[in-house]
Amino acid sequence: MRIRLLYIYLAAVLSVTLCITGCGGGNTSSEAGSADEPASQWTIGMSQCNLGEPWRVQMNQDIKNAALDHPEIQVIFKDAQNDSLKQRSQIEEFVSAGVDLLIVSPKEAAPLTPPISAAFKQGIPVIVLDRRILGDDYTCFIGADNKRIGKAAGQWIVEFLAGKGKVVELKGLMTSTPGQDRHSGFRDGIKGSGIEIVFEADMKWLEPQARGEMESALARFSEIDLVYAHNDPGAHGAYLAAKAAGRDRDIRFVGIDGLAHEGQVYVKQGILSASFEYPTGGKEAITTALEILAGKEVDKEITLMSRVYTQNNIEAGGEWIK
Amino acid sequence: MSKLSDLVRSPVTRAVIALLFVLILGGIFNADGSFFKWGTHRDMLRHISVFGILACGMTLVIITAGIDLSVGSILGLAAVLFSLFTIQLQWSPWIAFAACLMIGAACGSLSGGLIAKFKIQPFIATLAMMVFARGVAKWVSGGQKISTAVLQQDGTYQYVEVPGVFNFLNSKILNENIAVVTLIFLFCILTCWIILAKLRWGRHIYAIGGNEEAARLSGIPVTATKLLAYGLSGLFCATAGICQAAQELQGDPEAGMTYELTAIAIVVIGGTSLMGGIGGIGLTFLGALTIGYLEKILSINAVGEASRLMLTGVIIIGAVLFQKFRK
Repeated sequence: MRIRLLYIYLAAVLSVTLCITGCGGGNTSSEAGSADEPASQWTIGMSQCNLGEPWRVQMNQDIKNAALDHPEIQVIFKDAQNDSLKQRSQIEEFVSAGVDLLIVSPKEAAPLTPPISAAFKQGIPVIVLDRRILGDDYTCFIGADNKRIGKAAGQWIVEFLAGKGKVVELKGLMTSTPGQDRHSGFRDGIKGSGIEIVFEADMKWLEPQARGEMESALARFSEIDLVYAHNDPGAHGAYLAAKAAGRDRDIRFVGIDGLAHEGQVYVKQGILSASFEYPTGGKEAITTALEILAGKEVDKEITLMSRVYTQNNIEAGGEWIK
Repeated sequence: MSKLSDLVRSPVTRAVIALLFVLILGGIFNADGSFFKWGTHRDMLRHISVFGILACGMTLVIITAGIDLSVGSILGLAAVLFSLFTIQLQWSPWIAFAACLMIGAACGSLSGGLIAKFKIQPFIATLAMMVFARGVAKWVSGGQKISTAVLQQDGTYQYVEVPGVFNFLNSKILNENIAVVTLIFLFCILTCWIILAKLRWGRHIYAIGGNEEAARLSGIPVTATKLLAYGLSGLFCATAGICQAAQELQGDPEAGMTYELTAIAIVVIGGTSLMGGIGGIGLTFLGALTIGYLEKILSINAVGEASRLMLTGVIIIGAVLFQKFRK
């Protein structure tokens, strides 16, 4: 009797779970179903290192959107789930499937250089996106410069605070290059000014972590003028901590990434004073891919420009930084 | 004399001593007096609440001599679903609460059912649930955080107000002296205490952890009790997920990654045995405070990440060794 009840219970909860999640999933996830479309002229393989990060989800979305206007290309996406060796075998799968062009956003340089190099030597053009590989066995590198963005943020903050003030720096994972570059670029940008870094902590790109670290900074310092976080979720976490302490009006917040649904929204809502765009390069990758496939010469190195979004320019779509 | 040594031998005293040790550390490294401000303690309690709620369910499971690795993922799933229901679908918070708690309990009882009925090892069953629930969270959210910026059909974003329930859960009450999530944590502790100390179910949970075969032979409903323990763990995870979403003002499908490790650390530092049958929720509460203060002290002193990890490792081992020598 009890066992039968158990089965009935399990069946009931299972069906409820499936129903609710199913309904929720229906309108949020969109797959690029291209099975029944006419055969494309070219196939492009896109190897993404980790779709766990919203910024990388955005990158794939940008590629997908750019490719929609070009029926002559078909893009196949693979997600390596933050695993270098998985990404390596996915690149090899693309090569043996005979794709016409490869776009790779590698997780890290050393383990992914050999498969990319091998594909390039077999005559498959390779576009490397965002992170670099070793050597120069690739067709084109597209990426933004974190150091430059960090420096621009530093210079902007110096101007914004009129040359002096107490700043908290919430750093991204300091064992990652973006974290190191956004840090050193920033320090470069504020050099010689009266900006004082009173507190710095590694929040590992995570919002809850940033909130906890900011609470500590707030407990320790009664005077904080601005928080510079290495990403927008970090800046948002710091804002939530300050708001909970009733100090959100005295402190300004600056973040990096400037995603349409994240940093830009925070700027519009007045939560962040500025967000610096870290472009995904998805659109540029497709433009460059089309040029390569058409047999044109492309630059080996394309550095993406980025924009700063502030409350003054957000409606106008931001402003390019030099 | 023997009374005193009995007192020192009791696990509660040991857990209190570990906590006092950390508190003394805080008193010494007080970061210009920040450690003596009430705000620091209140913030610590807020920060540890989500982990503490996970540890409540984990305690029940560990006392049955099991383990629940899926707590972080179920937290993430609940955070995503709660945000989806309240922000994007504009459901009433009560229905959203009920739905999330039900799904959390369903996930928990599913692993419980696999463990109890099909004799799959708890480590394996909950490992599978950990991966599965994370997958569901990513699928439902489309890999994006569910926030107040809602994507429209034409690719633009429309902004909606933060639902009142988020602001309430994210606020502090009693003259701004305690965070609402901390009260929820205390309520979960109380619930577990009633189950473990006052109800027949609690005795069953201890009996199964002590000796499953003996419990079965003495007529204890082993399957149902395990189902209850894992189901409650899922329920607490969903509660923690709702708190997490409210504090982030969004549902992050990645939320709760590696939280299961912190939850296990809290339970073990408190003094509940991973072998089952021994322990209690009061110990878990003390463990949560110990871990919470440890993190807070390292944070207010702005200790670098590398030293922070090394110190945490050393102190966890120290506390557990200290617990071990009680016999």
